[in-house]
Amino acid sequence: MKYFRPNSIDEYHELLVTLKETSMSILAGGTDLMPRWEPDKGLMPDVLIDIKKIDGLMGIRENEDEIIIGALTTIQDIKKSILMQNEFGSLSEAARQFAGVQIRHRATIGGNICNASPAGDILPGLYVHQANIQLIGPNGSRSIPISKFIIGPGKTMLEPGEIVSEIHLLRKGVKSLFYKLGLRQSMAIAVVNFAIAYQQDSNGAFTSLNIAAGSVAPTIVYLESFVDAIMSGVSLDEAIQHVDIDISPIDDIRATADYRSTALKNVLEYNFRHELHQGNE
Amino acid sequence: MGLKQIELTVNDFSHPFLVESDETLLFTLRNRLYLTGTKEGCNQGTCGSCTVLLDGKPVLSCMTPTLRCVEKKVITIEGISSGENLHPVQKYLVKNGGLQCGFCTPGVVMTAVPFLEENPDASRREIKEGLSGNLCRCTGYKKIIDALENAAAEMRS
Ligand SMILES: Cc1cc2nc3c(=O)[nH]c(=O)nc-3n(C[C@H](O)[C@H](O)[C@H](O)COP(=O)(O)OP(=O)(O)OC[C@H]3O[C@@H](n4cnc5c(N)ncnc54)[C@H](O)[C@@H]3O)c2cc1C
Ligand code: FES
Ligand code: FES
Repeated sequence: MKYFRPNSIDEYHELLVTLKETSMSILAGGTDLMPRWEPDKGLMPDVLIDIKKIDGLMGIRENEDEIIIGALTTIQDIKKSILMQNEFGSLSEAARQFAGVQIRHRATIGGNICNASPAGDILPGLYVHQANIQLIGPNGSRSIPISKFIIGPGKTMLEPGEIVSEIHLLRKGVKSLFYKLGLRQSMAIAVVNFAIAYQQDSNGAFTSLNIAAGSVAPTIVYLESFVDAIMSGVSLDEAIQHVDIDISPIDDIRATADYRSTALKNVLEYNFRHELHQGNE
Repeated sequence: MGLKQIELTVNDFSHPFLVESDETLLFTLRNRLYLTGTKEGCNQGTCGSCTVLLDGKPVLSCMTPTLRCVEKKVITIEGISSGENLHPVQKYLVKNGGLQCGFCTPGVVMTAVPFLEENPDASRREIKEGLSGNLCRCTGYKKIIDALENAAAEMRS
């Protein structure tokens, strides 16, 4: 395996032109990639391009309309950001519940997005806040909404040579929360997770509502039928039955499809009653 | 496989040597520097027993390519005490019986030291959260957390 460490995006693109090897991989925090390497089974890429030193891809910036997160920003930096805590509660909470401190110091937001796991904890928050993913490639840059960027388990719209450079979040004053159900409290991959973005009037009625759930379909999914039912004013008990229309869970080593569906409905209902004060508490 | 000549700073000493481009810091520490205090548990990022400090931050050496550590400072469990003087975290793990087989202990120490330095007033709950990336199959954690509470008290004074 050959290892390269470009210092800038330009250097990265110059490097790509010179490489002849067929299998190459971008390394950010390495927390998804490295456990998959089994040298004996030939599962190593021929070329590893470590992007951690590329300038300007780290850190959280703000302007009047947006918060911009560099793709190499670590989950620990997101957890510690007061800005994120104040304005993007679901992302801040997802970072808090993410693995242990050692992994959080390495794992990046860009890695979580590009890994495109149906269970990725940072993703539901990005979906409900309708994050835009900024990509830079040899032919320039483009921006894609997160829900279009991720197309299947481990599959994204990333073209060869492109990297994710930034994540853009609009500051609309929408509140959000994140909930994760794992098989144990920490260090667990979600059996179900979700984020809810909402605005409420002074009576507690929703003026906007957006929910995205993970681990219940090949990608994160919006719970549109459930949200429509809630917004149309039907009772929580009735609305919750609509969740099954939005999801397509499967059986795997962590849980059965049935369990995921029931668990999602139960924890959703719990959050609606106790966090959002809907129905009877 | 390409061997590369590098220089690595571990516990304040610089060592020049040859490494494979795909080797992990855990492998380098144990098999090239013979610093076997850092333990290999799962080699998958889930147990925390291989934790070391990279520029002061706790990271898993089993998930860190060695080539990425050039120009950075690595501290391992062997670099935590000053001679015979144990760090408070080590001292109270011994005093409180916070270890049985001891396999998880280097990782616990390397996670707890920066955590308590950054959060000297951490509550018991926060200490538990801070240690959530470290598995221990023996103690049931209670005595580890007791020890860290006592260490925090000493570090505050
Ligand atoms: C013990 C353990 C616990 C974990 N716990 C959690 C958890 O609680 N929640 C959770 O969601 N995940 C968890 N994960 C999974 C993993 O940590 C996350 O998905 C993490 O965000 C990946 O980021 P990374 O920087 O380490 O990615 P890497 O492993 O470096 O990369 C992942 C993939 O994305 C590509 N990539 C990375 N960055 C870019 C970029 N900027 N542009 C283009 N491609 C890129 C890489 O080529 C690779 O294919 C855990 C993993 C481990 C080992
Ligand atoms: S050996 Fe590194 S986390 Fe288990
Ligand atoms: S003391 Fe044995 S694993 Fe912790």
